[in-house]
Amino acid sequence: MNASLLDALRVHDEPYYVPVAGEVGLFEAAYATRLPVMLKGPTGCGKTRFVEHMAWRLNRPLITIACNEELSASDLLGQYLLEDGNTRWQDGPLTLAARFGAICYLDEVVEARQDTLVVIHPLTDDRRLLSLPARSEAFRVHPDFLLVVSHNPGYQSALKDLKPSTKQRFGAIDFGYPERQIEIEILIHETELERSLAERLVSIAEATRRLKGHELDEGVSTRMLVHAGALIGKGIAVEAACQMALVCPLTDDPELAQALQACVRACL
Amino acid sequence: MNSAEHEVEFATGARAFARALWGLNLHISPLPASTPSTRARFLGSHLWLHSTLPPSESADLGDVQLAAAAHVAAHLRFSGAPFLPRGLKSIQVAIISLLEDARVERLACQSYPGLSRLWTPFFQSPPPRARTSASLLARLAHSLHTGTNDPDAWVNEARERFLARDAALCDPNFVRELGGRLGNELGQMRLPFDARDYVVTPAYRDDHFGLWQLEIESTAQGAELELKSNESRAAEADNPASRNRSSSSPDANGTASAFAVPTRAEPEYADLPALPYSEWDYVIARERAAFCMLREQPTPKSDPARLDASLRSYAGTRRRLLRAASRLAAEQRVHQRRLTGGPRLDLRAAIATSLSPIVSQTGAPRVYGRTHFRREPPALLVLLDCSESLNVVPRGSPWSALELARQASALLGSTLNAVSRDWALHGFNSNGRKDVGYFRFKDFGEPYDEHARARLAGMQARLSTRLGTALRHAGQALHARRAARKVLLVVTDGEPSDIDVHDPDYLGFDARHATRENRMRGVTSFCIGLDSGAESRICTVFGSHHFLLLDRLERLPEQLSRLSLRFSD
Repeated sequence: MNASLLDALRVHDEPYYVPVAGEVGLFEAAYATRLPVMLKGPTGCGKTRFVEHMAWRLNRPLITIACNEELSASDLLGQYLLEDGNTRWQDGPLTLAARFGAICYLDEVVEARQDTLVVIHPLTDDRRLLSLPARSEAFRVHPDFLLVVSHNPGYQSALKDLKPSTKQRFGAIDFGYPERQIEIEILIHETELERSLAERLVSIAEATRRLKGHELDEGVSTRMLVHAGALIGKGIAVEAACQMALVCPLTDDPELAQALQACVRACL
Repeated sequence: MNSAEHEVEFATGARAFARALWGLNLHISPLPASTPSTRARFLGSHLWLHSTLPPSESADLGDVQLAAAAHVAAHLRFSGAPFLPRGLKSIQVAIISLLEDARVERLACQSYPGLSRLWTPFFQSPPPRARTSASLLARLAHSLHTGTNDPDAWVNEARERFLARDAALCDPNFVRELGGRLGNELGQMRLPFDARDYVVTPAYRDDHFGLWQLEIESTAQGAELELKSNESRAAEADNPASRNRSSSSPDANGTASAFAVPTRAEPEYADLPALPYSEWDYVIARERAAFCMLREQPTPKSDPARLDASLRSYAGTRRRLLRAASRLAAEQRVHQRRLTGGPRLDLRAAIATSLSPIVSQTGAPRVYGRTHFRREPPALLVLLDCSESLNVVPRGSPWSALELARQASALLGSTLNAVSRDWALHGFNSNGRKDVGYFRFKDFGEPYDEHARARLAGMQARLSTRLGTALRHAGQALHARRAARKVLLVVTDGEPSDIDVHDPDYLGFDARHATRENRMRGVTSFCIGLDSGAESRICTVFGSHHFLLLDRLERLPEQLSRLSLRFSD
């Protein structure tokens, strides 16, 4: 059953991804040495897509876990379930990945509590060991297993940093928003927008990114541009699509929203 | 709303718009009521905008502000150095300015084609048809923007001659040359022009004051505006801040060191107990044990009514902050598990209990859970740099940095007090290594009452900034708190300095060391930097992602409270 589950988690079609700074080579080298990888960058810049792309490229199943404060060690490792008056052990996603050689991706890892993350320590050094205290079991992980984590190092998360003892187990790749031409290509590929319109949407994103750290915590991300493009593809007027996908999610402040609308109009 | 808050919150959209378009950092204030100008005005990056519109204007105030900000931003981006008016008649100055408006707007539209749509609504009503100089100028501005023909041959020809120079659009000299000729032609038509009655059209455009290098003192309305910024500049120049580094000299042992001779031998509060603190010397790469002496000094009190008054003037900001604080409190859920009673079954505990025969046979099963809301803020210590540099009056601000720090503290007190946070507000300054002063305006566990407010009102800014010692002392105070998270929020201009230190890097490296020591003890440090040019210095001390630089000091009150709330999330 686990084998079929893992097969379902395999990425069969190539996820579209445009390399920007040699990150594909870096990841492949890290995988070859089974060095756990940390992806750092702003939200919506393509970290998750990159992991999917690499899982496809390396032909490994991909198990993604969105981290949050409620995530416990047993959510990662597994637990006993009651079934017909008997008990049955259910592997958690991390155990499953470690047992059968998948790539395990902990998204927004700093959102998880530090004590929860300690379970990954023996997995991420040369022991490559996973221990399941509830089952009194410990096993060496599958040779194809790799742990990947991501986080967005902004000043908002200054208090949610990882422990040095956790950080130092990873090799890290820095992500940013793609360069203008690459971002335009991505947008055209993802949404089939006309080039001139894609260029104008990217100009909107560039303008809002200048407000980062001033009026906004983050500017418009590549993901938000794709959302806007998708709405336009469904026949929504360009300005209305931008209002819904770009302006409204970014701010609740009416005056700032008016300025962002003006940015949208200025670029169109 | 008082003038301080008004300036802080005034035209935030227009400011954001200018930044988004070309990364410009505009300082925007309301046009003083006494100014006779009916148009916006700029001088350098300072922009004065209308806070209300005359009844004759039907446009939306927000639209006018955005259009004006974009227009002035285009001047700042494309206009270059101000024109020299020498040898020009007033009609020529007006025409050159008008052509310059058209030139920078056309260039702006090359980058942002949609800007034209932002400005077009202001050209919808046709200009007056009278054949006066002012009317012809309005018609020329209209014709240049809309591209439409005008019944007047001079207007049409002027437009054609401007458009014929499209290739030279990047060169501001051509408008000066063309405007000079057009002005001569208009003069030959014997149409009188009175610069005092002339109003630039349309309504969003500035009054051209910032385009010219004028003898501004001779212009009554200009003098008033300029006076304000001159006063601020003078205040900055008059305050030597705490950068009083004396020349290099060996220390008492004759070894090469970072220290100069202290100017005062006896500390101000020598009778108070002194706490020794070590200091990191990066040159010898080791700590100098018990090198600095810190004294907790009494805080002079003053009338808190002033603070209360300034707090009233931040009513709008305060309401927003309180809403954010109460939302935050409501969001802090706590899940309790393995209880002997509770509103829901703790499934995990139930399964574990049924699996363990020992547990299931003894006592009440702990298989229930409960979710409730609880405030679990970090222990928060706000540490204010109370050195001389706080007396600086930021350009264009009616308040000194010290007054803003007082207002920020009062707003913080009001915000945090409403949700009963465990927090403290301390300050520090220094006068050499043996005389570091530390002030507790409001301590942990103390109520934020009239005594605390009186101490805040009496806050003074003087002497220097021995940051590292203060960080160590504040770190100790936080270390003693029983809280899961401990946050030290430092407000400083980012330049540690003292009278007995001449090496500009020495105190910065010591402060970095102190921050690291604090981190090892579970205290996270974060800095609000009051000098937007101090990024590298602040980054050195606090680390990347652990600071926020204020490009406008007037935002300190709101930002301090917002950050404190954010850290409680």
